[in-house]
Amino acid sequence: MSLSHRAFRALLGVLPGDFRENFGGEMEQVFEEQNRYLERRGRPMDFAKLWWEALTGIFRTAPREHWEILKHDVAYAIRMLQKSPWFSVTAILTLALGIGANTAIFSVVNSVLLRPLPYPQAQQLIFVRQEALKVGVDHVPFSVPEIMDYRARNHTLSSVAEYHGMSFTLFGHGDPERVRTGVVSANYFDLFGLQPLMGRTFIAADDEPGAPPVLVLSYDYWKNNLGGDPAIIGKTFEMNDKVHTVVGVLPPVPQYPDKVDLYMATPACPARSSKMHIENRDMRMMDVFGRMKPGVTLEQARADMAAIAGHLQAEYPKSYPENLGYGADASPLQQELTHSARTPILILLGAAVFVLLIACANVANLTLSRMARRERELSVRTALGAGRSRLLRQLLTESAILACAGGLLGLALAYESLHLLTTLAARLTPRAHEIRIDGGVLLFAIATAVGTSLIFGTVSAMFARANLSTGLKEGSTGAGVGLRRNRLRSALIVSQIAFSFMLLIGAGLLMRSLVKMQEVNPGFVPQRVLAMKLNFNWSKYTGKGAFEIVTNKVLEQVQTEPGVLSAAISSGYPLEPELVTDGPNSNTFQIQGRALATGETPPIASIASASPDYFKTLGIPLLSGRTFADTDDSKAPQVLIVSEQLKIVLWPNADPEGQKVSFDDGEHWATIVGVVGVVGDVREFGLDHAPVSEIYAPVAQTSNVGTLLVRTAMNPEGMSRRMREVIHHVDSQTAITQEMTIEQARRESLQVPRLTATLLGLFAGLALLIAAAGIGGIMALAVSQRVHEIGIRMALGAKQENILRMVLGQGAALAGLGILLGAVGALALTALVKSLLFEVTPTDPATFAGVAVVLAATAVLACYVPARRAARIDPVEALRCE
Amino acid sequence: MAKNFDIDSHLPVTPAMFQILLALADGEKHGYAILKEAAQRTDDRVRLSAGTLYGNLARLESSGLIAESQKRPETRFDDERRRYYRLTEFGREVAVAEANRMDEALGQARAKKLFRKPRLA
Repeated sequence: MSLSHRAFRALLGVLPGDFRENFGGEMEQVFEEQNRYLERRGRPMDFAKLWWEALTGIFRTAPREHWEILKHDVAYAIRMLQKSPWFSVTAILTLALGIGANTAIFSVVNSVLLRPLPYPQAQQLIFVRQEALKVGVDHVPFSVPEIMDYRARNHTLSSVAEYHGMSFTLFGHGDPERVRTGVVSANYFDLFGLQPLMGRTFIAADDEPGAPPVLVLSYDYWKNNLGGDPAIIGKTFEMNDKVHTVVGVLPPVPQYPDKVDLYMATPACPARSSKMHIENRDMRMMDVFGRMKPGVTLEQARADMAAIAGHLQAEYPKSYPENLGYGADASPLQQELTHSARTPILILLGAAVFVLLIACANVANLTLSRMARRERELSVRTALGAGRSRLLRQLLTESAILACAGGLLGLALAYESLHLLTTLAARLTPRAHEIRIDGGVLLFAIATAVGTSLIFGTVSAMFARANLSTGLKEGSTGAGVGLRRNRLRSALIVSQIAFSFMLLIGAGLLMRSLVKMQEVNPGFVPQRVLAMKLNFNWSKYTGKGAFEIVTNKVLEQVQTEPGVLSAAISSGYPLEPELVTDGPNSNTFQIQGRALATGETPPIASIASASPDYFKTLGIPLLSGRTFADTDDSKAPQVLIVSEQLKIVLWPNADPEGQKVSFDDGEHWATIVGVVGVVGDVREFGLDHAPVSEIYAPVAQTSNVGTLLVRTAMNPEGMSRRMREVIHHVDSQTAITQEMTIEQARRESLQVPRLTATLLGLFAGLALLIAAAGIGGIMALAVSQRVHEIGIRMALGAKQENILRMVLGQGAALAGLGILLGAVGALALTALVKSLLFEVTPTDPATFAGVAVVLAATAVLACYVPARRAARIDPVEALRCE
Repeated sequence: MAKNFDIDSHLPVTPAMFQILLALADGEKHGYAILKEAAQRTDDRVRLSAGTLYGNLARLESSGLIAESQKRPETRFDDERRRYYRLTEFGREVAVAEANRMDEALGQARAKKLFRKPRLA
């Protein structure tokens, strides 16, 4: 065969198989004759022309022929699917659930984990952090002198910007308004590559001490709170007793690390611009972002940060004690923003993939059963001349139509469920509000639908290939093929049960761990306590003890209100959403008379401030000594209360009362009375977070006044309006920024585990349902195929219960094998969810046993209906039929 | 598939199809003969490629305008891969209807003096 002939034959490959079977040989023959004719004429250019015509002719014909077949196949497939509506609806719904679950989860994966941050060269952005690894702290904020050092000494970063979040009261626009403010260095926006929508961002001059205060507004704040005022630039607002001028508005971009209303340059922030913050290396409050120079790798930047930390430690040994394990590190900003979301999201993605696999197995099984009923139709079509490739194509078209319908419905399901997923993600990453269904997600849904149709389409096609020849034989159920088909079906059922088992184990473990969290003793009594976050107008209260007067006044008045059992003012409250997100503040301290050995790590504790009735209000038990008294005021010597945990760590066999503790290297030992009492441990930072060592100081001695806590006799929410009135009666400029009952905070703190468990439970429930339908279906089919055999058995003396037991036994055997395989798989996989579990081991025997029982019971129940039908077969009828 | 024997629904016939119908009008032919006949008749202005030819043959056959002929020439003149096609009665009617349609169009064009002789300058 000549080269040209071979090339032409290859070219024919683009035509549909049927067309080729019909005309391929002739076309080759025509092409040969054309070639021979041209050879006789001997004009080389004519060959080029012939090839050109052949190419254009075939490429024009091929799409038309494919389209014709597709049209025909689709019409035929729709007719066939309409003929078995039950099959079609079940298959479409099953696929929709599988594809929908995957599409929804993928949209989260795509938006949160895959899509780069929406900034130019986002891969250069890093989050820099200091750590004190020997005391287990991996995120120490930066002080102003430290920021200056890291900025000046690094070799790998093109810029270093700082950020800290504050809440201020804004005047000059209707009512005083609490605004979330990002206090940032002037280069902050340049670092992210952000251009203003209007006006300008900050310039170096804005960072100079004493610079006129300027503001950059976030897009949402400008749009929603200022009505998108086009003439906003140059307008002024009063904050912290200073006039601030708006210089710019940001475009609508996601904000990290927090979503804030406006940005302020550092000199305008009262805390950040104070002498104490500017000069004191140990006043650490800021987050630091960096942009790596082009060509610099993350490893180089990390080494650079670590080297600077080493130099600082050598220069300022007092600020970085040897025994803390001080260091500095950097991580990609994207990773920093999404690391707590990664595990739950990937686990959910895994679960969704399982659901899809189960759905595929189920639809494949349904298809197989349907193929059994269609044997004759397919055989007749073969006998009438339909080529094998033609029939396979027809079957694949049917699968594709089912998958497309399932995909469309799944996409709608995904769209509807996105809200639930965004709620979950919002608690794990600031990127949650970027979650949406975009082109990538659509592509994913399409790819999933296509992949799915290929999987179960191939199964039916495989069957068709094996079976077409036997179908026409009289009375044939194709013994050999039937057996193989049943084995394939059984394998599909076993795999469905195994995957369902794994999902149920995952969901079961999370549920149990959620229950444990709900049952755990939080160390306080959360019922009927109202918590209100207060923000006094700072600029009004200066000097030692300034807050004391106002807080005492608030407490006095609140306590006289009817329905109030007790009230307290404190820095925060247990399970406060912010505390749960941020974790404990870890402070090192010294104990008088206890010098640290070289290399010994100093003790650390989380510090909170509390007014005298704090422990009573929250129901935290006093274990020894006393609680704070009204006399522990700003003029009295410093007193402290420690938590039981701290007592056990530091004074296991002694009474801590009278022990002196200092946070400033003992500069003020003289004024410290020391520990006066020990209180019970509190799960302050999450119900799944073991209690940490805590030190409480009287609120009057710390000025750390953030929260009003009120324990009420009745429903605390009903008291909130009255409390607001009381607070505003004392000081009308006090903003109440947050208000919730501690019970709500407790529920809120369980939101992530609850949502994760609910979603996984939902997936597992779906899987169980699909698997049950699957095993019930296959047993029903098996019974209908074996009517004759069962009839003979009964004629030979088998009793109804024997038949019932036989069918149930077969179902149970499949379920048992599935459960066994599932258990093996689960043991291998549960390590993945370990990080999400609380007081439950990944191999929790109770969960495994419980799930096995539920799954086995469901399977047997699903088999019961066909089993009963089998048992009721009338042997006379059955044998006559044959 | 049920065939549609309504002549009008097949009009207008595409140029390639019309050439094939014409080629078969005076007797059955195999593919290459159709292609050659069309080229010769039109002085090489109509050149059908194998792809176009068989796409159209498939279409004409499935609509019942042509059919495969069972008659074959003597083996020594034949290539077994060849198939011979003949015009069906219905195909002839369609071809005639198409020719009439074109004739009518031509008449109208003449009536409108579309074919004016170029004027002498």
